[in-house]
Formats: sequence, C-alpha cells, structure tokens
Amino acid sequence: MLAVFKRETRSYFTSVVGYVIIAAIFAFIALYYAANNLIFASSDFASILNASLLVLLFVLPALSMRSFADERRNKTDQLLLTSPVSIPAIVMGKFLAQLVVFLVPVAFSCLLPLTMCLFGDVSLTSAFSAEFAFFLVGAACIAIGTFLSAMTENQIISYLATFAVLLVGYMMNSIQSLFTSGNTMAFIVFGVVVAIAAVLVGLLCKSLTAGSAVFCCGAVVLILLFRLRPVWLLNAFNQLLDALALFQPFTDFVGGMFSLPGIVYYLSVVVLFLFLTGQALERRRWN
Amino acid sequence: MIEVSHLTKRYGSHCAVDDISFTVEDGGIYGLLGPNGAGKSTTMNVMTGYLSPTSGTVRIDGHDIVEEPREAKACIGYLPEQPPLYTDMTVREYLQFVAELKGVKHKADRQEQIERAMGRTGLDEVMGRLIRNLSKGYRQRVGIAATLLGNPKVIILDEPTVGLDPAQMIEIRALIHDLGQTHTVILSSHILSEVQAVCDKVLIIAHGHLVAQGTPEELAGQLAAHGVISATALGAPAAVEAAAAAVPGLTGLKVTAVRGDEVSFTAASESGADLRAVLSKAMADAGCPIISLSSQTMSLEDVFLQLTEAPAADSGKSEPEPDAGAEPAGSGAGSPAGGEPEPEPSAEAHAEPQTFVPSGDAAAEQKEEN
Repeated sequence: MLAVFKRETRSYFTSVVGYVIIAAIFAFIALYYAANNLIFASSDFASILNASLLVLLFVLPALSMRSFADERRNKTDQLLLTSPVSIPAIVMGKFLAQLVVFLVPVAFSCLLPLTMCLFGDVSLTSAFSAEFAFFLVGAACIAIGTFLSAMTENQIISYLATFAVLLVGYMMNSIQSLFTSGNTMAFIVFGVVVAIAAVLVGLLCKSLTAGSAVFCCGAVVLILLFRLRPVWLLNAFNQLLDALALFQPFTDFVGGMFSLPGIVYYLSVVVLFLFLTGQALERRRWN
Repeated sequence: MIEVSHLTKRYGSHCAVDDISFTVEDGGIYGLLGPNGAGKSTTMNVMTGYLSPTSGTVRIDGHDIVEEPREAKACIGYLPEQPPLYTDMTVREYLQFVAELKGVKHKADRQEQIERAMGRTGLDEVMGRLIRNLSKGYRQRVGIAATLLGNPKVIILDEPTVGLDPAQMIEIRALIHDLGQTHTVILSSHILSEVQAVCDKVLIIAHGHLVAQGTPEELAGQLAAHGVISATALGAPAAVEAAAAAVPGLTGLKVTAVRGDEVSFTAASESGADLRAVLSKAMADAGCPIISLSSQTMSLEDVFLQLTEAPAADSGKSEPEPDAGAEPAGSGAGSPAGGEPEPEPSAEAHAEPQTFVPSGDAAAEQKEEN
C-alpha cells in the first residue's frame, strides 16, 4: 500500500495536475474569505466553506478521474494486480494519495481563521470543525470519483460521470422539492428501482426467470405497501432522497454545530465507495 | 514449480482457453508457442493472477493463485505484452517503486536488487532518464528488469520480442537465455525460430488447446517417423510419376520441379519405414534412374503447422466465430504472421480461420538475423 501511495502522491506533485487542483481550491476559498470576512467583516468562516463546496464539484473529479482509468488504459494495472499486493491495499493507497493532495488547500485555509483573530473575537472551534467537515465532504467526493474511475478506462468519461453524480447530490434538495406531490410519485420511482434491480439480477444470473421473479416479488410488495401503508412508502422515499443529498449534512456544521451523524454519513460514503471500487476491480478479473 | 490443471477461461460465450493442463519444472526456459489468438496471453494472465480462471487451478510453488494470491504472486515476475511502465518516472524511480511494490523490505536490499537488475539488463546508462523518452527496446528491458525485483523464482514474459528491431531482438533473446541460468523462464511467442533458438521446452497452444509439448527435438522427432523422401529421377514426368506411385507404402506423391528430363518429387512413407532402398530399386527397374535421393525429417515448423492447422479445421466448422482479437490484451501489436483478421465469407475460408504462415515469417526472421 505504501508503495502505491508514494507513487501516486509523487505523480500528482510532479505533474501540473496536483498544483492546479490545490491552487483552484485554495484560490476560491481565499476569494470568498477576502470578500466575506475581510471586506464585509463577517466573523463567520464556516459559511465560506459552504460557498466553496461548489468548487469541489468541478475540481475533485479532475483529481480522481485518472486514478484507475489511466492505469487501465496504459495497462499498468497489470503490474499492480500481479504484484503481491491486495486489491484493498491498492485502492487505499490511491485514495490516500488523493486525500493528501486535497489536504494541502484545506490545511492552508486553516490559516485564514487564525488571521481573523487579529481583528477580534472569532470562534475557532466552529471554524475548525467546519474545516474538518469540509475535508470529509471532499473525501466522500474523491471516493465516489475513484469508484467511477475504476468503472471506465476513459478519463473524460470518468470526470463527467463523477461531476454528474456530485451535481445530482448537490441539487438533491431542490430536486426533492419537485417531488413533494406524494405517494404516487414515490410508487412510480420505487417501481422503476425494482425494474432496474430485476434487469440487473436477470443479467447477472443470465436467467429470465430470476429477473421476472425479482420483478414480480418487488411489484407485489410495492403494491401491497401502496394500498395498505402509503405513508411508509413516502417516508422511505424521502429518506432515500435525503441520503442522496451529499452536501446536506455539511450545512449543520455551517450553523456552528458539530454533527456526529454528518461525520458518520461521510465516513460511510467513503467506505461504501472504496469497497465498491475494490469490487469493480475484482469483477473485471472474472469477466 | 508451476502446475496448471484443467484451466479454462471463457469470455462470455467465447472460450479463450479450453482445459489446458501442464507442469513447469524448476529451471530452464519454457516456450508457449501458438498463432495469435490461440490463448497464450490469456493463459499467462490467469497464471499470474491478473485474470481469474473460469474453472481449473493454477498452483505456483504449491500456492493456489486464487486461494493464496499473495504467496503465489510473490513467486512470479510478469512482463505482459505491453510493458506496464509509468512513463512519467525515470528508470530508477520506476524500479524503486516496483521493488517496494514487490515487498522488498530493506532499503539496502532494494538498492542492491535494483543495481543487479539494471546491470543484468544493461540499463545503467539510462537509469536517470524518463521512461517516456526511451526506445521500445529499452522499455522492454526496463520491463524485464522489473520482473527480476523481489527475486521471484519464475519469470513470465509475454511476447518479449514483439515490435523490436532485429538487433534489439537478438539482445533480448540473449538476455532471456542469460535469465534462464538463474530463473525458470516462461515466454510466449508466435515466432517459431525464436522458440527453437531460446527454449528448452515447448508447449504448443492452438485454439485454446494444448496440442503438444516437449523439447524442440522431441516435437520434431514425433512426426519425423513419417519420413518424407525427396528425390530426383531421370525420365518423362509421367513415367517417373507412374513408377513412384507403384511403390507400395508410398503416399503423397508430389512432383516439385521438372528440369529437362530431371523430375524432382517428394513422397511420404505411410508406415514410417525408410523406403529409400525400395524406391531406388523400383525406379531403376522402371528405367527412370534416380540421381539424387534424401530423407527429410520434419522441422519444428512442419510439426507446428500440422498441429495448429488440424484443430483449426475441426473447430472452424463447429464454431464459426473467428478468434481474431480474442486475446484481451490486444493482439494487434503488429505481428506479421497469423494476421488474417478478416474472415472470408466462404465456407472453406472458415475451415481454417487462422492460417499460420511460418515459412514467410521464418524467412523474414532469418533475413533479419543475418
């Protein structure tokens, strides 16, 4: 793992990619800082980070897009996968290297609230807890990007897919407000989910019966729920959409709250997507 | 020691490797020989743990590649068809990385192994250069040097000389020969003369099947029993042909050249017995005296042709899918032979979807070597 980590980190810092990403993230944070804290003289640092989240959408996919896609295109994955190193170690090595790159602008931005102390009373605890959460949000974005990068050998597709997923996560709150109409919408969406699951099962098992069986069972359960307990369906639907709102838990930190559920949420996203990355690599060997 | 037993690898409905079993003993250079798309790369990718087998097992030094991948992979140094090089690193940095990846623990140990690998592969002059700027021959050497790190027992090289110029080819072959002194080397190739020159033992693979194995001499000897006679006799072509055809046990009569009244022909002995004396007497009796007569043994090339074409005719009929590009690693690396990627629509063309052209290839090879 250490070897992969060292090589990846080195490669980000010997090419221009790492510096551009660091510069872009830090520049935007500093820009908001100058506008909000210095000129407007606000003592709230966390809201700056909240505004900077949008930059992560554009920049972090560029960081993660090459991690596995590039290896596969250059066939260097053959070296990694035939070396006595486990797949989780390879994934971790690559993920940590990206975290290190992202950590640099975050660490620099930690200096900004300190400078504000010169001018008055500033809550450093809330500023630094927001920094910490900001770092976790970035880690989650990187994990998602790493997974999507392992799914393709084209960096551009990897970038666009990651950007699209993050964008959906970013706009999930506004998307959700479109769907307040109620039970029927929840029923339709869950129906589509069941259909997709059925098609996947059918394809994986290579059997029409398995796919149809899954669809029939799912449909029966859905219809029963819809008839008997429509509220459950609606709640589950809303919770599902909530879970997809990737940047929502961060707002707690902006309000000056240290939210444990938020931290657990981001850590789970990281673990889930790194696990899926490992599975994607493993699956490729079996096809 | 490597034990491959009943190895099968399918890509969807296409079977790239079908029930191959063989054992590689310690020491010596083994050659996997076969036309493009025969399943060589797939076999190697499964042996090294890059791909998982559909069924069957591979044991490296007693470690199953699926059950104990770490231990098994530690015994192998693998150079795929396209060397897995990070072109943004210098040669030294790359070897440093590979040594760490292979789990060479101590720094001094790593340095020593890297020095030795660079020395053996002749990379000392270029160690500070970016791999991006190296020629194909040097890249191949960097790839080979990387396989030596971590002191694996077995070195597996997939088509190590493809795409090299003749001088580089000779250098790499000499290097492989040198490696054979200290490691077990398995290499794949579609070039016969290469395998014949370098390998101690040959495994011939065609259409995913292992069709023959043995030393080059053994393989040539296996079919040499069907002695082929070539002869030149004086007389009218028709008379010569009639006289030779009358010899019992002689088949496959073919007139190869007619110069004046000198008729050259070749024929095979059905039972494998030496028919030269009988033929000579029969021709003399028929009034067509023989002026030259020789017995040919089959070269490895003939053996190869016979072995790889026969199953082609069978499988071609049962499974019309031409396996051009069947190897996932991409067999389009520009090999001159075996490259009939466009199957013709006629049924006869399908019978032999992969006609291997060793004679042209071998001739080109020899020309290159001179």
